[in-house]
Amino acid sequence: MMSKSALDKKFDRIRSLEEAGKLKPLTGSRALRKMLNNRLALIGLIVFLVILLASIFAPLLTAHNPMKINLRDMLQAPSFEHILGTDKTGRDVFARILYGGRISILVGLGSALIGAFIGVGIGCFAGYKGGWIDVAALRLSEIFMAFPQIILVLLLVSIVGQSLINLMLIFVLTGWGAMYRLTRARVLSLREEEYVQALQSFGLSTWLICYKHILPNALGPIAVNITLTTAMFILAEAGLSFLGLGVPPSIPTWGNILIVAQDLRVLQNNWWLWLPVGMVISLFVMAVNFIGDGLRDSADPTLQG
Amino acid sequence: MLTFIIRRLLIVVPMLFVISFLVYLGLELTPGDAVSHMIDPEVASRISAEQLSEMREALGLNKSFLERYYIWIVNVLQGDFGHSLAGGVPISDIVFDRLPATLELSFIAIVFSTIFGCLLGVFSALKKGSLTDNSLSVVGMLGISIPEFFFGLVALLIFALNLQWLPIGGRLLPGYETIWDRLPHMVLPGFVLALMMTAGVMRYSRSAMLDSLSRDFIKTARAKGLPEWRINFIHGFRVALTPVIVLIGFRLPTLIGGSVIIEQVFQWPGIGNEFIAAVRGQDYPLVMMIALFSVFAVLMASLIIDVLTALVDPRVRLD
Repeated sequence: MMSKSALDKKFDRIRSLEEAGKLKPLTGSRALRKMLNNRLALIGLIVFLVILLASIFAPLLTAHNPMKINLRDMLQAPSFEHILGTDKTGRDVFARILYGGRISILVGLGSALIGAFIGVGIGCFAGYKGGWIDVAALRLSEIFMAFPQIILVLLLVSIVGQSLINLMLIFVLTGWGAMYRLTRARVLSLREEEYVQALQSFGLSTWLICYKHILPNALGPIAVNITLTTAMFILAEAGLSFLGLGVPPSIPTWGNILIVAQDLRVLQNNWWLWLPVGMVISLFVMAVNFIGDGLRDSADPTLQG
Repeated sequence: MLTFIIRRLLIVVPMLFVISFLVYLGLELTPGDAVSHMIDPEVASRISAEQLSEMREALGLNKSFLERYYIWIVNVLQGDFGHSLAGGVPISDIVFDRLPATLELSFIAIVFSTIFGCLLGVFSALKKGSLTDNSLSVVGMLGISIPEFFFGLVALLIFALNLQWLPIGGRLLPGYETIWDRLPHMVLPGFVLALMMTAGVMRYSRSAMLDSLSRDFIKTARAKGLPEWRINFIHGFRVALTPVIVLIGFRLPTLIGGSVIIEQVFQWPGIGNEFIAAVRGQDYPLVMMIALFSVFAVLMASLIIDVLTALVDPRVRLD
């Protein structure tokens, strides 16, 4: 008698559970279930939500005002009163990280979503219909994509000037192209499917076929791309603000908090000014990336299991 | 092969013209013109309006927009990129002065990240699910998630400020110009950039290799009875290399831009540092020309990538 393999044992376990009536019927979407079974993606989702909620409900978590200058409490090390100490003008660092998260997440997630909305909106229709819209959008996206991303962003910053809205506009402008091309490529292959031909023969309107019947089948890779773009924009905001060219320095953001680390004395002596916020950025971006990986694995039908 | 390259050039060249036109348009839309930049506002207020308009005429500023664009593009094609607003230095001088420093860093980063990224990625894919694979995945994820300047700052703090093994920044000290004087300056920025890039290449080559190993031609190779190393490296890796080349190729030009922030952290006197200074100082001609250079680099790189992929991947045909 051959010994049972690991797979056999697994099946035995499942069968015994089934006979005992303990197996829950599978509910909800398969993709969602797979995503929740992916441990790293789940941890990513939890970290993402914790940081997001902590930023949104910042006033509940700290009594300090992130903008309030208090020259009597300059450069204090972390204490019970100031959990992460204070900066050069006596502002509470913990409060600044929480409130800064609002702007940084708004810029990252907001620009990624708006860019996706525009790119997917055009890409779905243009990919299905073709014609001059498609040609025009394709050429336009090629122009934007011919620039290295940070060069284009800085070029636009130098032309339109520095503000929160401008930065988001610039991110949308540099981000929609990739979304458009991704959606277009998916739609180009989907529109040859038989179900689309059937819909056409029913005489459904182009809009309905595009956005109601084709788009849902292209959403998997789009969702993955939104997470990647969000991660990229959050890193870009931090980098630009660190250079003093992103969000105006008066508004607390994760990147703006880090500006002080350019001062080597701060870097060496006042770790609480830059280490925690750098770790929060890394943690948040990592969480978003893990969610993206999880989404990709659950959305990709070639990776069954 | 030649027709393929020519056909690609027919797409790239018009593209460059369109972008140069847009860049020139941007230059026009920004405040000020050559005269107002050349002359101190204080001096300009004492010069009569007639004299100013005469100067504009002498410089050809009263011609129509298209005429001026034509003159500008002809100059650019002849290697005259105009002058920087700060100090009136020819832009070509600035670019060729700063470019070697940036290329030096990029070269280290590209070579290091390509070799180690591919090796680790392929190794990870061959040992899928093992402890090594999982830990490499986590390290790779860290690498793409930590802001590069933050990583740079931590490296700076540990190796330059606390341990004092390496200099805190810059490229050369006056009077010290041999390679051995330069090497210590290169180590920190070079390796920070290289490590950040390695993470991306590793993740990418791992998934490319996994994808390639799941294909039918691998089964065929195995059925033929080829030794395992031949299957993995001659058949699997060759196809996995295509997406990796695409990724590295796209990194090549972005390194002119990609090292912008790292150059700032380590006060590296490269093109990125100059670009930031130009953006801060609203030195528009310099900003535009550096941007145009980087576009040129991107388009040329994409051309080279296309040719290389065609050479490496037997499935891609040139026509």
